[in-house]
Amino acid sequence: MPHMLTRKLSPVQSIWFLVTKRASHISRQLYDVIVVGGGHAGTEAAAAAARAGAETLLVTQKIQTIGALSCNPSLGGVGKGHLVKEIDALDGLCGRAGDWAGIHFSILNRRKGPAVWGPRAQLDRQRYREFIQAELLSTPRLTVLEGSVEELLVADPNPEEPGVHSVTGIRLANSSHPISASSVILTTGTFLSGSLFMGQTTSPGGRIGDAPSSSGLSQMLRERLRLRVGRLRTGTPPRILKDSVDLSLAKLQPPDSNPTPFSFMNTHTRCKPEEQLPCYLTYTTPGVERVVRESLHLNCHIQQDTKGPRYCPSIESKVLRFPGRSHQVWLEPEGVNSDLLYPQGLSMTMPPDVQLRLIREIPAMHRAEIHTPGYGVQYDYVCPTQLSPALQVKNTQGLFLAGQINGTTGYEEAAAQGLWAGLNAARWALSLPLVGLSRTESYIGVLIDDLVSRGVKEPYRMFTSRAEFRTSLRPDNADLRLTMKGYELGCVSSVRHNEAVRVKRGLQDAISSLQALTMSTTRWRRMLPGISVSESKNSSLSGMDLLQYKDVSFEMLASVFPENLSEYMEFSERLKIEAVYKPHCDQSKREIERIQKEENMALPQNIDYFTLPVSLSQEVREILDRFRPSTLGAATRLEGMTPAALVTLFNYVQFTGKEARTTNRKQTDHEEDLCTRKASLPQ
Amino acid sequence: MYCPATMLPVSAVCGGIYRAATRALRTRKIHQCRHLSSGDGVLQAGLADADTIFALSSGHGRYGVAVVRISGPAATTALRSMVGLRKHLPPPRTAMLRSITDPHSKEILDRGLVLWFPAPHSFTGEDSAEFHIHGGPAVITAVLQALGSVPGMRPAEAGEFTRRAFHAGKLDLTEVEGLGDLIHAETEAQRRQALRQMSGDLARLYQNWSHRLKRCLAHVEAFIDFSEDELIEEGVLEQVDISVHDLQAEIGQHLKDERRGERLRSGVHVVIAGATNAGKSSLLNTLCQRPAAIVSPIAGTTRDVVETALDIGGFPVLLSDTAGLRESPDLVEQEGVRRARERVQQADLTLLVVDSTLLPSEEHQASALLLNHLRSVLSSQENTETGMCLLVLNKTDLLPEAQREKLNRGLRGVSGLPPVCLISCQTNEGLKDFLTLLQSSIKSMCGDPLSGAPTLTQARHRAHLQQCVASLAQYGRYRDYDLALAAEGIRLALTGLGRITGRVGAEEILDIIFKDFCIGK
Repeated sequence: MPHMLTRKLSPVQSIWFLVTKRASHISRQLYDVIVVGGGHAGTEAAAAAARAGAETLLVTQKIQTIGALSCNPSLGGVGKGHLVKEIDALDGLCGRAGDWAGIHFSILNRRKGPAVWGPRAQLDRQRYREFIQAELLSTPRLTVLEGSVEELLVADPNPEEPGVHSVTGIRLANSSHPISASSVILTTGTFLSGSLFMGQTTSPGGRIGDAPSSSGLSQMLRERLRLRVGRLRTGTPPRILKDSVDLSLAKLQPPDSNPTPFSFMNTHTRCKPEEQLPCYLTYTTPGVERVVRESLHLNCHIQQDTKGPRYCPSIESKVLRFPGRSHQVWLEPEGVNSDLLYPQGLSMTMPPDVQLRLIREIPAMHRAEIHTPGYGVQYDYVCPTQLSPALQVKNTQGLFLAGQINGTTGYEEAAAQGLWAGLNAARWALSLPLVGLSRTESYIGVLIDDLVSRGVKEPYRMFTSRAEFRTSLRPDNADLRLTMKGYELGCVSSVRHNEAVRVKRGLQDAISSLQALTMSTTRWRRMLPGISVSESKNSSLSGMDLLQYKDVSFEMLASVFPENLSEYMEFSERLKIEAVYKPHCDQSKREIERIQKEENMALPQNIDYFTLPVSLSQEVREILDRFRPSTLGAATRLEGMTPAALVTLFNYVQFTGKEARTTNRKQTDHEEDLCTRKASLPQ
Repeated sequence: MYCPATMLPVSAVCGGIYRAATRALRTRKIHQCRHLSSGDGVLQAGLADADTIFALSSGHGRYGVAVVRISGPAATTALRSMVGLRKHLPPPRTAMLRSITDPHSKEILDRGLVLWFPAPHSFTGEDSAEFHIHGGPAVITAVLQALGSVPGMRPAEAGEFTRRAFHAGKLDLTEVEGLGDLIHAETEAQRRQALRQMSGDLARLYQNWSHRLKRCLAHVEAFIDFSEDELIEEGVLEQVDISVHDLQAEIGQHLKDERRGERLRSGVHVVIAGATNAGKSSLLNTLCQRPAAIVSPIAGTTRDVVETALDIGGFPVLLSDTAGLRESPDLVEQEGVRRARERVQQADLTLLVVDSTLLPSEEHQASALLLNHLRSVLSSQENTETGMCLLVLNKTDLLPEAQREKLNRGLRGVSGLPPVCLISCQTNEGLKDFLTLLQSSIKSMCGDPLSGAPTLTQARHRAHLQQCVASLAQYGRYRDYDLALAAEGIRLALTGLGRITGRVGAEEILDIIFKDFCIGK
């Protein structure tokens, strides 16, 4: 039975609930998991930890900004849409929130093949926030608390291992009482030593209008835990008053006529097709470039060489890197009742009066007024190679990091990490083995593996080209790839699990029925005149084979064999995709198995690569020591690794693995199993 | 993306090595037991590669000098205990004349040159040593036995020295293969090709392709990931179309080298065929200058294929003499004829021998008859690509001078007829001209290994390149309606190329390569 969009608490109710929580003191001083931060990473982390059975506390500076879209009012896109589908398949929030708050839905890359389709939506900021807040409040085992974390409490459990720490809880500002927890997840976003830039002024903070967070955390990470910390930057464009823009001078970009929901649990979006709002496309002019160049001396953000994203650059860096070109500017609605437009592509950090001059160089905005000027942010991130694939800090038990603190950019990237860190933090607190996700099964796996085994040099964003097995990791099959697994690991509800099982069975049955329909090409052509199947091959084809052809749809087959196929009409698009991609997925199966084998070969985390008695060059030893790959698979993806070094490591793993097994022979099978499972995710 | 720069599937490369490693492990355990039982003391906690290996690196048999090679940590032990260098190791890479003694009995086994190559400046990257001793079997056996009694030493497996060199990052896969060929090179041209491959010419060619493919892939990926949000220049895909098309053509051309490189590596297959009693076996014996095949006036003397390896003008040739082609009631002869036809189908070059005394005296009739004969010998329904052919008219000593002249002039340049040679195996008349023609045909089939583009030398390379071309076709097939699958085509093509140089690997590669090496290198 397909599920309708789930109606959540009304906004009025939710705010009332939040106020109550805030006013009353929290009921306990001991939690399984504490999540610091209420952005995309923090909300997914808190919800996932609570779903997985942990008593969870979410601490955020301002409850009303939980679920705020700090930058662009949109979700999904190419690569990012894949992440949203996977988060949804693991029962996360953002897919359903997107369906609730979306006001303009479109599938990008429609003509480039279903493996790279990019589901995307413009969002109503207010609706998105309402949904997230309501959802968190109705989550059992989850408490939300307003406050600022002053200190991370850490113990050193073993005096013989001085570099290894263990998290014990947090202490809030203006409070002497610690709150204890087995796991703490930091999702500080741009707030970790954040500074805001506009023109020549700089002020501490992570988002305009919000108080800066205390410097205690950043100092703690650097000095107490001795983590390598770097600095990244990002920016946001000015918000424009809609009425001041002459939209007739921009190109109308209508949404898809039939909105496709993100969530596997929804059959339609809250926004009706005809209620959707359009976007507009316009271009920069030579005048824009002139203003940027003239105001460079007034722009301290752009003068600093802190690493910013190459993929979502400010207008300043676009103009400087590609002079003489015109760049796209998308004018996006901010919500059904909002008077603002978001000019995507015009992120800028110059003084507000120059910003106004700049946007007025664009014909559609020649009389535009700015509501809030754009600004830049610089913030600390923790080099993510110091994390395990479970997103736990390797040298600090129970400390997990997710989102921009790990060097990523984007809501979807943050949410994905948040969910995975939340699940693992809960498992840690409940004494369950930590878990990783393979890059062969999900974009989330690709994201985390890239982060923890290669690190980042600039804010990391997801692209489909990062996934080697793109033809298998499609947005359409995220539920089949992840929901059952998520259910076993404890972060997926039984309602969703049942739905995924139903869909899986339905697809399997439909495929069997299609395969059973095997006939000669001559007969197929007689039944379906006009198809481009050549008759020359005197062979027979199954319905599944036939469905691979460009001009054959499942509907066509179902119209000829209604008694066999009509019951599977709801899967028609998925079946078509399965048929086209199956041969290609089969092809990559061996490669996938090989990678999984390598990912199962753990490299002990306590190896001293400098004294390892095997033949390795000094250069390779340094790389290995710096990145400390968790598995052989991760080592293969390090830059600068040589084939010879990998072979040597392989031999080493094989040999030490064998030795360990012989010495552990006395252990029971069960214990040994546990050992190997733990060994595959070293702390 | 496949992360092409760094992505080497280790278990692929190691799959084969795994077995070797476990073998090594077993061997080490045996050594440990032996040490224990002999009260030898400390067990070395080392890794699989901590074994020290030794082997005779020169050929077996009677030679003036034999070279025994040692590689691994115990090389120093061997030097200390066998060449009387108790305190100091010899200066690196310098030959020293020394007595070589048995480490236990102290008996002098031989006097020879000793060389010491400390790690990492050795072929294998490990501590290595070489003994250049006298080549008699007794001396060799004694030295090898003595080495085997040194703790931590064991005989090397096939190709193990090279494998260690590869593991130490001293060679890449094509270089390893080139080295193998160099060892096996028996002719001058083979040696030149092997040297060229070892120096990385082929690797460079493949890397150039792979570099261009990476660019194509990058452009398609950019189009997939960005074109909806940002401005991607017009015509990106069109440029990729052109590049992919060019690459397909270039790799196709490389594949269409008529197996020149492989021929040079494994020898040109030259098959002597023709009717019974035309003098095929006599031609074989003449060419190899010894009575390799039985020759008699009885038709049907040769019933099976007689093979012999020759060096013709520096090129390796595998020459086969076959049974005369005729209908025969004899079952054995029938099988011989079947084999003969099969050989002709597989031949790179067929020498069709004809008894010139049986030709009609009129040249038009003669050429018509020869054309007919040619067709019946060479034609085959399945195989349209029959190799080259030379027409050898034998027994010219039995022809009158005028007739010889007539045939010589009359059969030249007749369309459909291959080059014609008139020879007599009896008197060696015309043999010199025939040999010149034969040599130039073989040379053109192998190509000059030093000029032009490097040639394909291994069937393995051919298979991967064919896969590469097929994958590129997938790009064209999907380009217009599923760019993700089109990009997958380029990705697979890249993987195919990577498999050749060992940057992206498949399990069996190393197994096969190392199996092809003789012990000692």
